[in-house]
Amino acid sequence: MSANVKRKTCNESTSLGAKIFLGAVGLYLLIPFLVTFVYSLFVEWTDILPSGFTLRNYIELFGNATFWASIGRTLVLCFASVIITIVLLLLAMYAVVAINRRLGNVMQFICMIPYALQGVILSIGIISLYTGTGTILSNRMVMLFGAYAILVLPYIYQGIRNALNAIDAEMLIQAAEMLGCGRFRAYVQVVLPNIVSGILVSSLLAESIIFGDFVLANNIAGTNYQNIQVFLQANMDTSSGLSSAIVVIIFLVVGAVTALVLKLQSGARKSEKE
Amino acid sequence: MATSSSAGSPAKTSMRRTWFGYAALIPFALVVIAYEFLPLAQILIDSLIGKESGAPGLENFIKIFTTPLYQQSIWNSVWISLLSAVVGIAVAFLAARFAYESSARVRGAFTLILNMMSNFSGVPLAFAFMVLMGNSGVLTIMGRSWGIPFLADFDLYGSQGLVILYIYFQIPLATLLLLPAFSGIRKEWREAATILKASSIDYWVKIVVPNLMPSILGTLSVLFSNALAAYATAFALVMNNFALLPLQITSKFKGDVQVDAATGSALAVVLILLMVACTLINNHFTKRAAKGREIV
Amino acid sequence: MSYIEFKNVVKRFGDNTVLDHIDFGIEKGDLVTLLGPSGCGKSTLLRCLSGLEAVSEGQIILNGRDITGVPASKRNIGMVFQQYSLFPNMTVEQNIAFGLKMQKADPAVIEKRVQEAIAMVELTGKERSYPANLSGGQQQRAALARSIVTEPDVLLLDEPLSAIDAKLRRALQSRIREIQQELGLTTIFVTHDQDEAMVMSDVIQLFHAGRIEQAGSPVQVYTNPVSEFAASFIGSYNLLRADEFRALTGDMADDGRVVAIRPETIGISAEPPIDDAAYVAEATVVRSVPRGNVLRYTLDASGVEFRVDTLFRSFHLFDDGERVFVAIPKHDCLHIPAEAAHARAAA
Repeated sequence: MSANVKRKTCNESTSLGAKIFLGAVGLYLLIPFLVTFVYSLFVEWTDILPSGFTLRNYIELFGNATFWASIGRTLVLCFASVIITIVLLLLAMYAVVAINRRLGNVMQFICMIPYALQGVILSIGIISLYTGTGTILSNRMVMLFGAYAILVLPYIYQGIRNALNAIDAEMLIQAAEMLGCGRFRAYVQVVLPNIVSGILVSSLLAESIIFGDFVLANNIAGTNYQNIQVFLQANMDTSSGLSSAIVVIIFLVVGAVTALVLKLQSGARKSEKE
Repeated sequence: MATSSSAGSPAKTSMRRTWFGYAALIPFALVVIAYEFLPLAQILIDSLIGKESGAPGLENFIKIFTTPLYQQSIWNSVWISLLSAVVGIAVAFLAARFAYESSARVRGAFTLILNMMSNFSGVPLAFAFMVLMGNSGVLTIMGRSWGIPFLADFDLYGSQGLVILYIYFQIPLATLLLLPAFSGIRKEWREAATILKASSIDYWVKIVVPNLMPSILGTLSVLFSNALAAYATAFALVMNNFALLPLQITSKFKGDVQVDAATGSALAVVLILLMVACTLINNHFTKRAAKGREIV
Repeated sequence: MSYIEFKNVVKRFGDNTVLDHIDFGIEKGDLVTLLGPSGCGKSTLLRCLSGLEAVSEGQIILNGRDITGVPASKRNIGMVFQQYSLFPNMTVEQNIAFGLKMQKADPAVIEKRVQEAIAMVELTGKERSYPANLSGGQQQRAALARSIVTEPDVLLLDEPLSAIDAKLRRALQSRIREIQQELGLTTIFVTHDQDEAMVMSDVIQLFHAGRIEQAGSPVQVYTNPVSEFAASFIGSYNLLRADEFRALTGDMADDGRVVAIRPETIGISAEPPIDDAAYVAEATVVRSVPRGNVLRYTLDASGVEFRVDTLFRSFHLFDDGERVFVAIPKHDCLHIPAEAAHARAAA
């Protein structure tokens, strides 16, 4: 038996048991989405098999102005918040890389807290702090941007930190300094161009997290400023056909972003090996 | 330039540079204070100011632990999270093990599915399960026509449904977290064990599992807190009509009833404490597992 | 007044004094090696000169100008790092042109000088390559070109060859020395490798625990170590305590002194040699190890173990356990101060 397994690992061939188990898990994970996808393409599914193929749900969805508005809002939230966080962190990391390396530990601690907070606590903290203060801070949009900036902090931070470590940013700045370049200029001209791809991967990850967010959008902005997830939730009870189409669209968008991330990551790994 | 700076003291130059560097921290610090630290502080303060008395103290917490609804919420959150985490990790362990033993092609395809489906959570997931197992769901209909009571009478909109959904979103996450740990298992260990006449079971029980223990416990803690704080999936499924910690917390700040920041914040503090406790327990076990290995 | 002067330079990291009143000068056009074990402060001194590290006390004068407080980017000093630190997003050409661009040089001048520098380090044909596609040796040469193209007042090399394999290393050592002499470039070279220091330097500054232990030409440092540390770090001296020396030679050495004898100065023969200028002793061969063209014997005489190097010639071979005679020339026995016990523990 043990010799048998050993041969398998060496030959890199897959045993039948492994195939069946992995297949079953894969299928289990895929079924809810696949059923929803089929559901979105048929008029009704009240028997064992669905009946009446149709694209009506999609046509209706794409003709719905509220849908486009919620997509637009989601994209604005995604890009604006991620860009805000990137800029804040790049500035802050300058202090770590060029001035005081020990600040790195504090940064790490601060940036990992949102992992533990998660959406519920973050959102109620922000609304109970700022609602009704009558300042710009009580604006729901401002609150939402702030909340998202914090939500994606761990991901963007790790991306930037890993990228900085990978190129040994501290040494590059010193090398540039010896060539007559000021530290901040070196950070902008030499370090930043070399970490762009690393930042790209982590920001795409952050985009997909914001795209999939319901808690913050629902608790902070709610119906005032529907994002795509809130839009889906609002339609769920009234029109299941439309909702199934929204689910498919959300999945495809997030799936495309994930595929891009995986592709970029494997590309980076390959070039590292070379 | 050079001549003028030659007069400057080293302290002066480095001060100017240091000042500028620290200034770069200011925007980050402001945002973190405004949206991370102050909201947390607000929750803490609100939780400690009594709802009825308005006096500082543990009044809100006493109320939570004496009100059946809140007791039930805490209990439900804990057991549903724990159950989903344990089932999730059991499936993930086997899946990661098989994936690790598979060819690169099979492993690649499986990992792709995991990555894709790990994003399938929250409202879309709840909706998909309604299509699948809701009152007129596809499986429910099949269950009725083929006489399978489990499917026909499945109650998606309750604890049964929550457990199924939570397990669903734990599996891809757990497997993705465990896979790297398996690649740390050296092929030579198996060969060494075989040479030393260890059976396959010996090898798994005495070598693989102890080596993976820190990863398993670490993943378990991630899964537990992941389920504990999950909101969207539960809300989309049962709205606020279920005794679950995140749902009860949110309903105190939003929704039909009046805002009750005192109770909501106290519940939030309980949730935070549960998450912190979970992290501490995990750290404890991880250290013990590491120590145990050293002795062996 | 020297071209570069370190005046009582002190550097502390917290409570730890890394440089303890360093005070010496470097002449224009010289290649000076800062030699010493890791942690002796040699790299820190280099970084203080470069401006990447501020000194805690003291002054650094370059060409009559006090540069102690001048930022690194304004010192006109070139530096090559151990890890090369080429900018990964720029080609070889762009890397080399970087410093000239910072000086806002005329594009035509940049082009011409970059080409010259590339030719000088023999990287012609690699102008458009990115650092990731270069070998370690090529990267190091590109880094060298980058730091000399700006015509710096001083070139600093911080263990630039430590990551390169032995064979290529020797070729690069001599290439660096040639370029340095061709340009008459004052150069400071940090290394922990005594052979490298011997091959390349005009002057060696031997560092030990934040101080300069000995300074001089390679030959001086090699033949006349001033202390036990210097003798143990340079060459492979036999270091005998006073009692060991007496047991071996019957002669006296003062307390607090050790006697350093280079292994290749000791003669070894089957018959007792007749030599008034040498101590003669009988010894047993403990073992012999061939090291290239040298055969190294470990001998035992009256319980004192010591090493003797001979050229590897077959008619001179002695077996383990064989009785032999050694002749130790008296003028090659250097009586030098013993290192204090605590310093030895630190090393």
